[in-house]
Amino acid sequence: MLQYIHPLALYAACGIGAIGVCIALPRREGKNPQILGAVIASLAGAVVLISMGLAAGGFFGAGLSPSIYYYVFAFLALGASLRVITHPRPVYAALYFVLSILATAGLFLLLSAEFMAFALVIVYAGAILITYLFVIMLATQAPTEEMENALTEYDASAREPVVATAAGFVLLAVLSTLLFRGVQDLPHLKNNAGQSLLAEMPRKIESGLRASGKLPEGGKVITNEKGEATIDFAARSVQVKTAGGETVSVQLPADMAVSNVEMVGFNLLRDHPGSIEIAGVILLMAMLGAVVLSRKQVQLDEDAKERHAKSLAAEFAQGAETNP
Amino acid sequence: MNTVWTLAQAGYPAALPEATLAHYLFVSAAMFVIGLIGFLTRRNLIIMFLCTELMFQAAGIALVSFSRFHMNMTGQSFVIFIVTVAAAEAAMALALVVLLFRKRESLDAEEWTELKG
Amino acid sequence: MTIFSSLSMLAATAAPKPMSPILSGPPEALLVLALPILGVILCTLCAIMRVRTRMPAFLTVGCLAAAFAITVGLYLKSGPAPVITSGFEWINLSWGDSAGENSPFHQFIANFSLYLDALTVLWMLFVTGLATLIALYASEYMSGDVGTGYCRFFAAFNLFVFSMSCLVMGDNMLMLFLGWEGVGLCSYLLIGYFYKKPSAVEAAKKAFILNRIGDLGLLMGICLTYVHFGSIEYRDIFAQAQPYIDAAKAGRYSEIPAIVQLIPVLLAVGAFGKSAQLPLYVWLPDAMEGPTPVSALIHAATMVTAGVYLVARMYPLFLLSEIALPLVGWVGALTALFAATIGMAQFDIKRIMAYSTVSQLGYMFAGLGVLTSTGAAFHVVTHAFFKALLFLSCGAIMHGFAGQLDLRKLSGLRRMKGWGIVSLGMLVGCLNLAGFPFTSGFFSKDMLIGEAFVTPGTAPIGWILLLTAGLTAYYTFRVFFRVIVGPVHYEPGDELHSAHEEHAHGDSHNEHAHGDSHNEHAHVEDDHQHHDHGHGGHFHPHAPGWAINTVLLTLSVLSLAASGLYFVPTGVHGGAVPAMVDRSSAAYQSPFAHHAIPEGAGDGGHEGPDHAAETVPSYVPTSIAMEDPHAVEHPHENAGTFLGWDPHAVLFYVSGAVGFIGIFVAYVLHYAGRTTAATARADALLPMLGPIPRWAQHKWYVDEFYNLVVRVPLLALAHTFHLIDKLLVDGLVRMFGAIPRWLGTLIRPTQSGELHGYAAGMATGIAVLLFIVFMLTLR
Repeated sequence: MLQYIHPLALYAACGIGAIGVCIALPRREGKNPQILGAVIASLAGAVVLISMGLAAGGFFGAGLSPSIYYYVFAFLALGASLRVITHPRPVYAALYFVLSILATAGLFLLLSAEFMAFALVIVYAGAILITYLFVIMLATQAPTEEMENALTEYDASAREPVVATAAGFVLLAVLSTLLFRGVQDLPHLKNNAGQSLLAEMPRKIESGLRASGKLPEGGKVITNEKGEATIDFAARSVQVKTAGGETVSVQLPADMAVSNVEMVGFNLLRDHPGSIEIAGVILLMAMLGAVVLSRKQVQLDEDAKERHAKSLAAEFAQGAETNP
Repeated sequence: MNTVWTLAQAGYPAALPEATLAHYLFVSAAMFVIGLIGFLTRRNLIIMFLCTELMFQAAGIALVSFSRFHMNMTGQSFVIFIVTVAAAEAAMALALVVLLFRKRESLDAEEWTELKG
Repeated sequence: MTIFSSLSMLAATAAPKPMSPILSGPPEALLVLALPILGVILCTLCAIMRVRTRMPAFLTVGCLAAAFAITVGLYLKSGPAPVITSGFEWINLSWGDSAGENSPFHQFIANFSLYLDALTVLWMLFVTGLATLIALYASEYMSGDVGTGYCRFFAAFNLFVFSMSCLVMGDNMLMLFLGWEGVGLCSYLLIGYFYKKPSAVEAAKKAFILNRIGDLGLLMGICLTYVHFGSIEYRDIFAQAQPYIDAAKAGRYSEIPAIVQLIPVLLAVGAFGKSAQLPLYVWLPDAMEGPTPVSALIHAATMVTAGVYLVARMYPLFLLSEIALPLVGWVGALTALFAATIGMAQFDIKRIMAYSTVSQLGYMFAGLGVLTSTGAAFHVVTHAFFKALLFLSCGAIMHGFAGQLDLRKLSGLRRMKGWGIVSLGMLVGCLNLAGFPFTSGFFSKDMLIGEAFVTPGTAPIGWILLLTAGLTAYYTFRVFFRVIVGPVHYEPGDELHSAHEEHAHGDSHNEHAHGDSHNEHAHVEDDHQHHDHGHGGHFHPHAPGWAINTVLLTLSVLSLAASGLYFVPTGVHGGAVPAMVDRSSAAYQSPFAHHAIPEGAGDGGHEGPDHAAETVPSYVPTSIAMEDPHAVEHPHENAGTFLGWDPHAVLFYVSGAVGFIGIFVAYVLHYAGRTTAATARADALLPMLGPIPRWAQHKWYVDEFYNLVVRVPLLALAHTFHLIDKLLVDGLVRMFGAIPRWLGTLIRPTQSGELHGYAAGMATGIAVLLFIVFMLTLR
């Protein structure tokens, strides 16, 4: 048995979600009951999340159940993602994607990964999505006057929605089952990791001590040959050399801790410097590639030319009719 | 340095909202599947790329939550690389999309079947 | 072989001692090699610069004439001892430890150096001399091909002279082999000169392939020489062979290792291949497909005598083997007779000359076999002149009558305007070949036959040669009486229309551009005009121009004058040429002969066989020989006789008479009372002989026999392998290729080319994998 949710409930939720997504996907014939589909799918998601919350020990704050923010951000992220794939207009899809990014950033904040959250917003919402929007504008046929709101055929209809959705949700059911079963045996949370990094930041300690007024006049944090401060973590004290030359032990301020940005920075630049370089090169190459590709002059192929000629001819005939 | 310095003592990170790893992983899996379904069903090339970005997001959520629950920053570093690759891919792919659009004046993925065996 | 047992024993008794060579030879000898190479380069440059005049011919004549002049200088300088001129270090390998006793120090040295003794100079004299004359002849003969073909011809011609010089002048066997293969290559190139003519290509291939058989023997002989003597330089070989020669002198052949006795046999195989002896002779008649100057120079005068040269050069080694010289002698004699019988029945005059060449080469080998290397060398020289003359005359006829060579379609050339010198040349050549008294051919042939009777045990060879001499006189004068004299009649041939046409017409426009500067070009143009309307209208034979006539006249004079060599007082019987040979490694002093008596020693008296064993090497200068009290003075008591008479005295008349008989028979059968070109009295007599003439005309079906024995089984084998290769090997390979292709067609439809299809496939794959994991972890 799964710890968080009854498997049957999970499978049922997956089935319902599949139906909902299937309904919500754009379809050419008739009116699209997208709202209905979205509601059904959201219901399914809610069933899973709430049942997981109940399994964890109660709803809304009691026991081990997740905080309300988790529910908000999770619903937002999944709902926005659903709209990304179901909205027939690319511009709206992209905007919903921004919403999904923001919700994900919220989840990251809940996971105390502040740096990642802001990076995500800046890079994704700020840069990548802007590019998408530009390309959507560029690569869309200019709407004619009488067909202002018309959708292109490939936007208006999904391809094999039933099969794809079924396959996707079977995958989800299996995936979730495996995940739930797998994480049961995970070791308990470790919260102490990363704090030893504090020893590597004597200047941070010094400025923190100075700000709290605990640093003796002209005192300096004693560092060894590696540049590490000597901290007694149990006593939360650090060795400081006074102006007189004597060594004293100073209590660390209560709010002195290693922040997430510092931890990520250490991890990135100290442990993976080569990867950083490679990532930079990849970005540079991508930039060059994009520049080269988009400079290239492309000939219309035969089909497109024919289509063009036909539309021009039709336009001309229309013009001749209206302006005799 | 061998002394345990507990989370509570440091006051950081803030106490974990009581959601467990499984909660986040479920969000990740669901988002991934949604992206996959979108990739399979939508025919607009741009939307298909958006769906791949969704799947990247899902992977990012999984990585960050694992990183948090193991207190190992490498997971977050990996997300940075994912973002890097996503940015590079977006630049290249969108340039290609523009080229393709210029050629056929269409973004329909089904127009391109040159690889047919 | 029994009759040779005594010969072998006696042969070595008179073997000479080697003389240590002088190492600082005249450096200009290298020019003899360099000048033909210069000619090759110049002709190639002409080809590159698209010279469309007769420039390459005259460059060639100039280079070769200079080489000839240098050779004459060498002759004048030549002393009794061999001389070595060092060129450059060519191959110098050494391995092993020179100090260690267990691992002997090995060396392989082949320098590009020249070994100049009288034999070399003799050969080079007629090679360069004839090459010069024939190049001059070819300048006119090949004028129909002026242009690239002309340059190609003369480049190959020069290369041939270079290779022949290497062969003759090299101081080691590797240089000899280099030249040997070089002349083979040039022969191939020149036989196949008309490469658009299938028969020429076939003939070239045949010559090349048959020569390979002989060359393998030569190569094995060289390898064995190196393996045994540790060197391939002549001076080392001769020096190291000395103990064996001493052993052979004492009749102790058992002391000579079998490997040493095998070397001359292998070398003889090589010589048989190159000199067209039984059973490898079949390529030479076919080689007549090449241009006639080539036939004259390469396939009559020079290259085919390379085998004779090889045997003569390595004569000291041949004396060491009990079977090598008998083998050489018998093969030569049988070849002479066999080729003569074929030659009697041919109608193509060039073929007749080809078979007579084979036959005369047989004479030379027989001469070597009966221990008269001097006679053989003398015959080589005389034959080179008169056979070249005959071929060139035939070539002139062929040239003038558009390729006509059938003696039934040509007659009365003597009475046609402009053909006087050709007729004269034919007459002189035929007289020489027939052994008419007091011609050079008569003397050299007489020497061979006489020596065959003198040497004990070789009388059968003598009888065969005598019979062959009669046949030779008959078939030679058959040609003369049919073609040169008699009623005037001719029909044009068609060879020029087929083979020369592409070359000739391609260049004829340029002929007009340059034509007025040379007289010969006018002839050429006339020739072309005849060709153009030759089929319909009547044909004008085109008489030879100045170059051909000059060469023919010169050669006629030289052929006749060569008999003068016989009378040059040199103290050696046979005159200048034998005197030269006696100073070389080919020297062999027959204990039975009376021709090597130093002047003043006189005849008569008998010496015991023990004295014969101490015979002074005859290539030792005469002055030294005279000081030696034991110099040979008298004929050996075992010397053979001719029906009881002294062979040399009697055969002078007998062979003359045989020649007369042959000529008379030819006169009766082919001239007397002949009124048409096509038939003669002989035709009426032929049926009396039954099928024999037909067999002879078909060359005794030797080609067919070889075809059946060698070519057909090989072809069958090749076809079998081809079939196996095609069905089995190719089938396997195709099968391995077909399986992936078949699988590919099977799964190709899955590749829709649509992005979604691939994405769906990928998603399905992930789902299935996860599902498998799910089921596995369910438990």
